[in-house]
Amino acid sequence: MTTTKDVTTPAGATPPASPRIKPPKSNRRLRLGERTAPYLLILPALIAILVLLGWPTLQLIGISFRKLDLRELVSGEMVWVGFENFSEILSDSEFWEITVRTLVFTAAVVITTLLLALFMALLMRHLNPVVRVILQVALILAWATPVLATTTVFQWIFDQQYGILNKTLAKLGFEGFIGHSWFATGPSTLTVIGLLVVWQAVPFVAFTLYAGLLGVPKEQYEAAGIDGANGWQAFWAVSWPAIRPILTMVTFLSVLWDFKLFAQVWAIRQGGPDGASTTLPVYMYLKGLAGNHFGLAATAALLMMLVLILLTARYVQLLVRSKEADLS
Amino acid sequence: MKKSLAQRIGLGTFGVIVAFLFVFPTYWMVTSSLKTPGQVLSPDYDLIPSSATFDNFVTALTKPGFTTYLANSLIVTLGAVLCSLVAGVLAAVPLSRMRFRGRKGFLMLVLVAQLAPFEALLIPMYLLMRDAGLLNQLPSLLLVYFAATLPFTCWMLYGFVNGIPYDLEEAAMIDGCSRAGAFRRVTLPLLAPGLVTTSVFSFITAWNEFLFAFVFMRDQSRQTLPVWLSSFRTAFSVDWGGIMAASVIYAIPALVFFILVQRKLVSNLTAGAVKG
Repeated sequence: MTTTKDVTTPAGATPPASPRIKPPKSNRRLRLGERTAPYLLILPALIAILVLLGWPTLQLIGISFRKLDLRELVSGEMVWVGFENFSEILSDSEFWEITVRTLVFTAAVVITTLLLALFMALLMRHLNPVVRVILQVALILAWATPVLATTTVFQWIFDQQYGILNKTLAKLGFEGFIGHSWFATGPSTLTVIGLLVVWQAVPFVAFTLYAGLLGVPKEQYEAAGIDGANGWQAFWAVSWPAIRPILTMVTFLSVLWDFKLFAQVWAIRQGGPDGASTTLPVYMYLKGLAGNHFGLAATAALLMMLVLILLTARYVQLLVRSKEADLS
Repeated sequence: MKKSLAQRIGLGTFGVIVAFLFVFPTYWMVTSSLKTPGQVLSPDYDLIPSSATFDNFVTALTKPGFTTYLANSLIVTLGAVLCSLVAGVLAAVPLSRMRFRGRKGFLMLVLVAQLAPFEALLIPMYLLMRDAGLLNQLPSLLLVYFAATLPFTCWMLYGFVNGIPYDLEEAAMIDGCSRAGAFRRVTLPLLAPGLVTTSVFSFITAWNEFLFAFVFMRDQSRQTLPVWLSSFRTAFSVDWGGIMAASVIYAIPALVFFILVQRKLVSNLTAGAVKG
C-alpha cells in the first residue's frame, strides 16, 4: 500500500505540500496575524489609559511623599519627606473642617436629589401624556444646559441688586431682601450651590428611575390592586423592588459626582467668603496650584480619593462582581 | 386606580408648575439675553418679554476673544471626541468579537478607569503637561479630555457591538467578505446609533469641563468657554444681557446634541444597574 506514508504522519505536523492545501508559511502567518490582531486593535486605548491615567495615578502617589513647592518644581529636585505631607494635612484643622463640610454637602445634595427625583419619576407615571411631555422637555432642558451656563444663570438669578429673586421677594412685600447678598455667608453660598447642583442632577436620576418604573409590568399593579393595596402599599410592594437596584446605582453615581465638584463651587464664590464654602477639590486647588504646594495638594488629592473609595467601595465591589459574571 | 376629573386637573396643574420651576433658569437665561440693558437693570421685570433684541448676541459674538474661546472649546472637544471614538471602536471590536488572553483584564481596567475620580489627577497631569511643554497648548486639554472620555467610550461601544449579532458578519464572510470587510459593511452601519450616543456623551463631558481648562490654560487667548464664563463675576460691572447671550451660544450645541440622544442615553445608563 502506498498510502502508509500518509497514515504515519504525526498529527499536527506540517501536512505534505499539495496543490489544494495552502502553503504552510502563509498559513502560519495568518494565524499569527489573527493572534496579534486583537492586541494591535486595543493598543491605542491601552496606551492612552496607561499613559494618561495609570502613570499620573502612580505619580500622584509618588508626589504625595515628596516636598514639591515652587523651588523644587523649578529646580526639578526630588525631596522625599516620607509621611510629612500626610501628618501636616491630617493635623490641619482646616482640612478636617473642609472634609466634614464636603461630606455634609455631598450627603445633603445627594439625598435631596434622590428624593426629588423619585418624586418626579412617580409624578411622571401619573400625569397625562401631554403634561408628562411638557415636564420631560423641561427636565431635559435643565439637564442639557452646560454646567457653567447654569452657574452663570444662577448668579444672575441670585444677583444682589438686579437678580429676579430679590426683585420678586421685594415685590411680595419682603422689603428686607432689597440688596440682600445670598453669597455673604458660607452656609448661604453652599445652599445656592447645592440648589444649582440638585437642579441639574435631578433630571438624569428622575429619567433613570422613571425608566425603571416603566419596566414594571402593569399586571403587578393590577394584582396589588385586587389584593386591596392602596397606592402607598402598591409602591412598596411593586415599584420599590423594581427600582431599588437603579436607586443604588444612581446613589453611587451621585456621590461620585457631587463629592468632587469644582466648577460650580469655584465659579460661584471661589470657596468664599473667607473660605466658608471651600470643599475638598477647591482645597486641593488652593493648596497646590494657587499656593504652590504641589506635594501637599497631591496628598490632599490622595486622601480625597481614599474617602471616595471608602464611600463607594461596596458598590464598586458589586459592580465588578456582576460584570465579572457577564464577562466570563 | 382611576382618578376623578378634579384629581386629574389638579395633578396636571401641579405637573405644569413643577415643569415651569425646572425650566425657569434656562428660560430666564434665554429671555434675559433678549433684553436691552435698561430692561435688565430696571427694578421691574417681564416674565414674558414684550420686545426682543438680538443686540446682546451681536455684542457677545463681536467681543474680542469670544470667538477664540468658542473655537478653542470646539477644537479640544471635537478633537477629544474623535480620538476617543476611534480608539474606542478599535478596542470594542476585539473585546466583543475575539477571545484573547488578557481580554478580561483589559475590560476590568476600563471599568475601574471609568470609576476613578479623574479630578484627583490634576497635580500629576499638570506636571506631566508642564514637562511635555504642553501647558497653555490646546493639545494638552485635548489629551486630558480624550483620557477622561475613553474608558466610558470603550465600555459603551463594547456594549453596542455586543448587541449586534455576530451571525450577520459570518453570513457576509460566507458570501466572500474578509473579516474586516464584513465588519465594515455589516456591523459598522448598525453601530451608527451607538457611535452617535457615545460621542454625544463625550462631547458633553469635554464641553462642560472646567477644572483642567482653568488650570492648564493660564494664557487668556487659550481659554475655553466655561473658563471665560466663570471669569466675568470678578469684573466690576457685569453686562448681564451680554453674559446671558454668551451662555445661550455656549449652551446651544450641547442642547441640540443632547436632545437628539437623551432617550438612548437613559436606557444605556440604566443597563449598568446591578442588584444591591
